[in-house]
Amino acid sequence: MIPLQAYLIVAALMFALGAWGVTIRRNAVVVFMCVELMINAVNLTLVAFSDYLPKAHGAGSGYAVVVIAIAAAEVAVGLAIVIAVFRTRRTVNIDEIDSMKG
Amino acid sequence: MIAVFAVLACITLLSAFGVVISRSVVHSALFMAGAFLGVAGFYVMLHSPALAALQVLIYVGAVTVVILFGIMFTQKPQARRFRMILNRQVWGGFVVAAGVAAILIYVFLEQDWGGTSPGHGPRLVAQLGRILVGTGGAPQIFGLLFEVSSVLLLVATVAAIVISRRRPERPTERGGE
Repeated sequence: MIPLQAYLIVAALMFALGAWGVTIRRNAVVVFMCVELMINAVNLTLVAFSDYLPKAHGAGSGYAVVVIAIAAAEVAVGLAIVIAVFRTRRTVNIDEIDSMKG
Repeated sequence: MIAVFAVLACITLLSAFGVVISRSVVHSALFMAGAFLGVAGFYVMLHSPALAALQVLIYVGAVTVVILFGIMFTQKPQARRFRMILNRQVWGGFVVAAGVAAILIYVFLEQDWGGTSPGHGPRLVAQLGRILVGTGGAPQIFGLLFEVSSVLLLVATVAAIVISRRRPERPTERGGE
């Protein structure tokens, strides 16, 4: 039997890789992908808790569904913002995008 | 069981590493789909096949396609050197991420989770549905969360259309618009 901690450690490493990508990458779309990795890592912990803790009554799975919905909304709005920024500034390099107007 | 877990962990973590480190943005997107598939496999191992199906449909299907569209709309000549894709904080960011991982793993291992045993999750779609509408033992707040997230999805769809719409050029420029 695989212990609960094994899933939690995989999720922690995945979260850390996503955080590393968010801090070092320059392309805004890749930063979005790394944020998605972090969201998936959190979802993995929630589902693991839902399966392993008897008193949770499966609440973690419900939270995971809500998180998936919110992440989908975030991707839609975030990529729309990236496309709008690219249209006005012709770049998605987040080192060069440093003002909110025009 | 342990072999399956090891294979899935390797797929997930190596794909996540590939997202961070690959030079081509399209390769990053494909690695991201691989990481999502690994997580879907973990959901199957955690007795949540309905969530695994949702994961494949929404993440591997929809989110990856939306991100690929975003890449196509913002395509630039491919950067061939790491200096072009990474900023100056590579090792500083690595230290921060390693610290986050170390703290999380320390907490996860030190915390006493009580009597844990697998198999308590909602295995059937009907159980998951009852949790989502607030009955079936789970907190009743899920009924509210379900409705709020549906409204949020509608608002996000309208907002994405409004933000990314191409505005007609006007001769008289007015502020704000």
